This record gives sequence, structure tokens and C-alpha cells, in this order.
Amino acid sequence: MSDPAVIVDDVSKKFRLYHERNQTLKSAVMRGKTSRHDEFWALENVSFDVAAGQTYGIIGSNGSGKSTLLKCLAKIYWPTSGSITYNGKMASLLEVGSGFHLELSGRENIYLNGSILGMSRKEIDSKIESIIDFSGVERFIDQPVKNYSSGMYVRLGFSVAIHVQPDILVVDEVLSVGDEEFQQKSFAKFLDLKKEGKTIILVSHALDVVADICDRVSWIEKGVLQTSGVGADVVAAYRANGEG
Amino acid sequence: MAKSDSPQPVSWTRTYFRDVFNSGELLWNLTQREVRGKYKRTALGQLWSLANPIAAIIVYTFIFSVVFQVPAQVGDPSGLDNYALWLVCGLLPWLFFQSTITQGVRSIVDNSSLVQKVYFPRLVLPLSLTGAGVVNWSFEMVVLVIALSLLGAFVLPWLPMVALFMLVLAVFAAGLAMILAIANVFFRDLAYLLTVILQFWFYLTPILYPISLVDTQSDRWGGLLGTPVTLGDIYRLNPMEPYVSIFRDLLYHNTWPDPAAVIAALLWALGTFALGLFYFTKTEKRLAELI
Repeated sequence: MSDPAVIVDDVSKKFRLYHERNQTLKSAVMRGKTSRHDEFWALENVSFDVAAGQTYGIIGSNGSGKSTLLKCLAKIYWPTSGSITYNGKMASLLEVGSGFHLELSGRENIYLNGSILGMSRKEIDSKIESIIDFSGVERFIDQPVKNYSSGMYVRLGFSVAIHVQPDILVVDEVLSVGDEEFQQKSFAKFLDLKKEGKTIILVSHALDVVADICDRVSWIEKGVLQTSGVGADVVAAYRANGEG
Repeated sequence: MAKSDSPQPVSWTRTYFRDVFNSGELLWNLTQREVRGKYKRTALGQLWSLANPIAAIIVYTFIFSVVFQVPAQVGDPSGLDNYALWLVCGLLPWLFFQSTITQGVRSIVDNSSLVQKVYFPRLVLPLSLTGAGVVNWSFEMVVLVIALSLLGAFVLPWLPMVALFMLVLAVFAAGLAMILAIANVFFRDLAYLLTVILQFWFYLTPILYPISLVDTQSDRWGGLLGTPVTLGDIYRLNPMEPYVSIFRDLLYHNTWPDPAAVIAALLWALGTFALGLFYFTKTEKRLAELI
């Protein structure tokens, strides 16, 4: 087997739950330097490898720590201990339209949002027609995005994000944006990426979708990795646990 | 840590500075966002950035030149004698500095949705604000240079030096903006406190009045509280003092700046930027959860 695209090695993440947080100068002065807090381990010693070209699912109930894991994978949180290693360019898709400026036009925002997501100007230049075409907002592309409907806004955001073309894509439940037609279109695009051999890590509640498209799945509960394995098997185990 | 058996594993920590260097384009785009987004849908557009300085010049010139009669400032060797122009040469650098740090202090907190949803080097947030500030400031400086030239100053040969020190002041402002942006995540009072501090800072910097008036007073008092430290010495601890004096020498007097001021300006800029970079990169990893 080729080298793993992502190596999650013994990752733990601790949060501090503040009772009284010294977030103002007054409280810092009044209470002294220490603020009271409890520690909470959202992730404990999670390890798994994602092979290049795999579609990898992460499932778990609410509060299981899967979102924390996703944010660690997306480099938004920094693990307290352990490491995450990437072989290739990683891009994350946790929210569409991040950093859109409402007063700027759709076209200007494609460049802005694209560069936030790690695309170069040249790359965007070569893809701009395709991005506009996919979003379906051609007629309004030179209008300020504040005049967009919420559907147009997310479609444009999704269209930019899906064109980033990273080696590794970390996705939250953003496949459910737009109307049904757009959802089918984006799902097809997603499958294209899979066919192109991109590594995809997906966090989702849609168990059927996960069982269907993911090669391997990890199940996380209370911050601890329960099991990793073939998609359908893990989903079945998770379901059995939920019902039992 | 990164496993050594895979060929050249790209670990997160090691790629950080590469990411910062690669984000030049993002920095440019965010700067453009600040500059272009600001005056969208206004009839005068970018001209509005001149409104504040012009209002300040009119008010201060009336009060300090007409009412209080600050002694005439004759340009040496430029021969200019115009309080308004003398004021502007010091005021524009200050206004740039002030707007950069008042916006910079909020740069992380205001972009919290971005910080919590996308990974990118957070350093570009305060830096892009500084960049946008430099763009506005340059625009103001062009107008100032035209005005100075029309009124008889021979300022053109000094422009490369002016540009150089604009960069130095921008480095100082960026360093301070980084420190303040992070500190504001921990203490949200800071943004409000800063506006108060800037009030004091502005009046304690010789912008509206010449530092010679302070020196006169300083000589009269001598060493303060029995020490050899004079009022003038304390005054010169203000990092903005050398910058204002450098810009006045170059633009208004058309002469070389005082070497002591140049050294002070460079040290303040490099020291603050280094400290800012250290503090920012040290805290950056935890920003998403701290906000």
C-alpha cells in the first residue's frame, strides 16, 4: 500500500471549561491571575491512518468529539498532544462562503474566498468560468453578494470550495447546501473528486451516505475511538450500539 | 511527532512559516478587501479617506495657529512657513498609526467566524489591516507632497527616504497590532482602553506643538525630582516622537533626519515587530478555541 495521506497519531485534545473567565481587565485584577476552570478531554489518544485515495468517514453521536477531531484535521484546533501528518495539500470545507465581503461582487469574492482556501490567483483565473458556471449565479456575478439570496450565497461559496482541488479534503456536512438539484450536482462533483483519487475525510450524520460512499469509517464516542473498519461494518456496529 | 518512515512527511509545525510566506496573495486580497470594501457605494469613494485628515487640519490650525499662536515653524532649509503644512507632516503618520492599531486590535475578534472555520496563517489578519492603512496613507501623502511642492518645498529628492520610513513605521504599527490583536482575545477591554490611551498618546506626541516648547520647559525645570532625568528625556521615550520628527525633517524641512531619531525609529520597529511575531505565533494555535 502507498503511504497514508493522513496520519493521525495519538491525538488528544483538552479544553478548559471556565467557571469564571478572566476575560476583562477588571476580573483579572479583582481575582488575581488565576481563573477557575475544569479540564475536559474532547479527544483521547485517537490514532488512525487514511490511505491516499480513500474516502474516510467519521461518525459518532452528538458531543462525541467528532467535530473536535474534524477541527483538528482542518488545522483549526491544535492537538494538545499527538500529531497529525499530511502527505499532500489539505483543504477543509467546514462552512461555505467564509470571508465573503458583502459589499464586493461575486467575482471579487471568488478571488478573496479562493485565496483564503489556499488557491493562487493563476489557479482561480483558470477555473473562474467553471466556478461561476457550477454556482449557477452567472447573471449576478458582478453584483455585490449582499444582494444574493441565501441559496445563491451558499452555492457560490460551495462552488469555490469544490474547485480548490486539494489532495486531501476535509468535509463537514456541507453537502446539504442549496436546493435538491444543486445537492445532486454537488454530490456528483463529490463523487468526481473520489474518482480522481482525492483523499476525502467526511464527518456526517447521514449514516446511509457514509456506509455507501466511505471506504473506511471511524466511530468515535466520548472522545475515544471505538472502532475503525470497513464502512458498512462500522455503521452497522454504531447502529447496533445505538439501538441496544 | 511526524513518523520518519514515510518519505518527507509534511508536519504541521514545520509548514507554518512556509504557509506564511505562501500567503502573500491572501494578504494582498484581504488588503484589497479592506481598501475596496470600505468606500463601496459612496459617491466620493476613496476621497472620503481624506475627509478626516482635512477636518483635523482645519480645526487644529485654527486652534493652535490662530487662537493659541504656536510659534511659527520655519522650514530649514526649505523656507516654508506654514503651520498647517507643518502640522500635516506630523499628523498623517500619526493618523495612519492610530487607525492601524485601533483596527488591528480587533482584527482577530472581528474575524472570529473566519478563524473558527478555515485554516490560514492568522498573521495575515493584522498584516492586511496594516497594508490597507498604508494604501490610504500613501494616498494622503501624495496629496501632501503636491501641496508641499506647490508651496515651494523641494520635496521630490526626499521621497525615497519618505517611502522607506513609511515602511519602517508600518513595521512598528504591524508589530504593535499583532500584540494588541492577541491580547484583545484574552481581555476584551483592551480595544476600549486603547482609544483612551491613544488620546493621551496623541497629545503627548509633539504633533500639534513643536518639541522645542517641551525642551524650553524641560530646561527650566532641570533634572526632575533631583535626578538628572529631564522632562525632555521622558518625552523622547515615546516611540512616535522620532517618527514624527523624521517625517517633518524629510517633508517639511527637506533635510536629513537626526541620526538618533533614525536609530530609535529602527529599533522600535524591529523590536516591536519581533516581539509581536513571537507572541502571535506562540498563541496563534489556540486562537480558535479562545475566541
